[in-house]
Amino acid sequence: MKSTEDVNRVMDAYADMVRRICFVHLKNRHDTEDVFQNVYMKYLLYEGSFASSEHEKAWFVRVTINACTDWLRALSRKKWVPLEVLSEERAVLNEPSNEVLETVLKLPEKYRDVIYLFYYEEYSAVEIAKILGKKENTVYTWLSRAKDILREKLGGEWS
Amino acid sequence: MSSAQNKIQKSMENIRATEEMKQNTLQYLETQRAKQGRGIFQWKPYTALRYVMAVICIFLLAGTGGYAVYSRPVSYISIDVNPSIELAINCFDRVVSAKGYNEDGQDILEHVSLKNISYQQAIDRLLQDAYYSRFLNQDSLLVVTVISGHSDAMLEQINANDSFQALGALTYSSDAACMDEAHQHEMSFGKYRAFLELAQYDTSITVEDCHSMTMGEIQDRIRTCQGHSGSKAVEKHSTQHANEHSGSHGHR
Repeated sequence: MKSTEDVNRVMDAYADMVRRICFVHLKNRHDTEDVFQNVYMKYLLYEGSFASSEHEKAWFVRVTINACTDWLRALSRKKWVPLEVLSEERAVLNEPSNEVLETVLKLPEKYRDVIYLFYYEEYSAVEIAKILGKKENTVYTWLSRAKDILREKLGGEWS
Repeated sequence: MSSAQNKIQKSMENIRATEEMKQNTLQYLETQRAKQGRGIFQWKPYTALRYVMAVICIFLLAGTGGYAVYSRPVSYISIDVNPSIELAINCFDRVVSAKGYNEDGQDILEHVSLKNISYQQAIDRLLQDAYYSRFLNQDSLLVVTVISGHSDAMLEQINANDSFQALGALTYSSDAACMDEAHQHEMSFGKYRAFLELAQYDTSITVEDCHSMTMGEIQDRIRTCQGHSGSKAVEKHSTQHANEHSGSHGHR
């Protein structure tokens, strides 16, 4: 079990990133908070060690994406979702500068991940492939298709 | 930084974990840590208990299976003089049960323990026993009958016993059908085999008659019917007849 010091450290280091990945996948604050806690709970119980801070960060990225996917899968098995929480998390989109973000969020889930990791976290396609456990060519294809969609919707420079 | 990257980063820069979210999570983790800490004392003994139970189950299964194999008889030995005793032998050549088929046989088994030793040891123990020796005299005849898939080897082992040889005992092999019939008449299969042999010559003889006869008396009748003469003591000391190993079970 990880120490309190370790937990505090990774909370400072990765909380925003975990929150953003949750935002990219999830639609309401309640889900985000649950997945956020789940991710840190997994860290608390993780018995392994990390070779470097990059390794640690990549672990958080992978675990958060998986936690979101699992959450959505579990959610899809539910018969109903309260209406009021459906778009709660996306209230941030009301800001005028968020046309880009809104477009990103409308991308298919797999494209959202690569776009976020590539543009925001500045991972290379090779690194993304490792984190997601996909072939490099797959990541290149997803990036290319995601850029095509963004270019089509937003115009401008999306290289 | 490309303009695309710039746009994405700008669009997401306001998405941050709130202080409330962080504090709630840290609080939640500390609660879970405390639970897990307590859980160590609960979980470990239960885990250990599970392993112990698993090992016990394995031992029980192995023990039950082992006991089933050990206690399953594969061979039988009928030892008859006047007392009739049957031994059930397992695949390890150990006596797993002993039964007396008349009062004397039952009486002897109360005095001599024959179980869980090899059949050679059991026969030797029986022959050395003072109580059993009372039945072994000049007029008596010891007959050992074996039912087994390897009766030849067993009879060879039995015949190798010095005490057994000294008594001029007879040995035969028989089969399970003979034993079933014998048990229906509450008789050891060794004595029943002798009855069947006698019945070949003397059709008037009945199982009930044989119940009250000693093996020596039955053998005398057989010899008489076969046209042999002379006392049984003479026959017993004849190497031609003593330790006779009949390949046929004599069962009709």
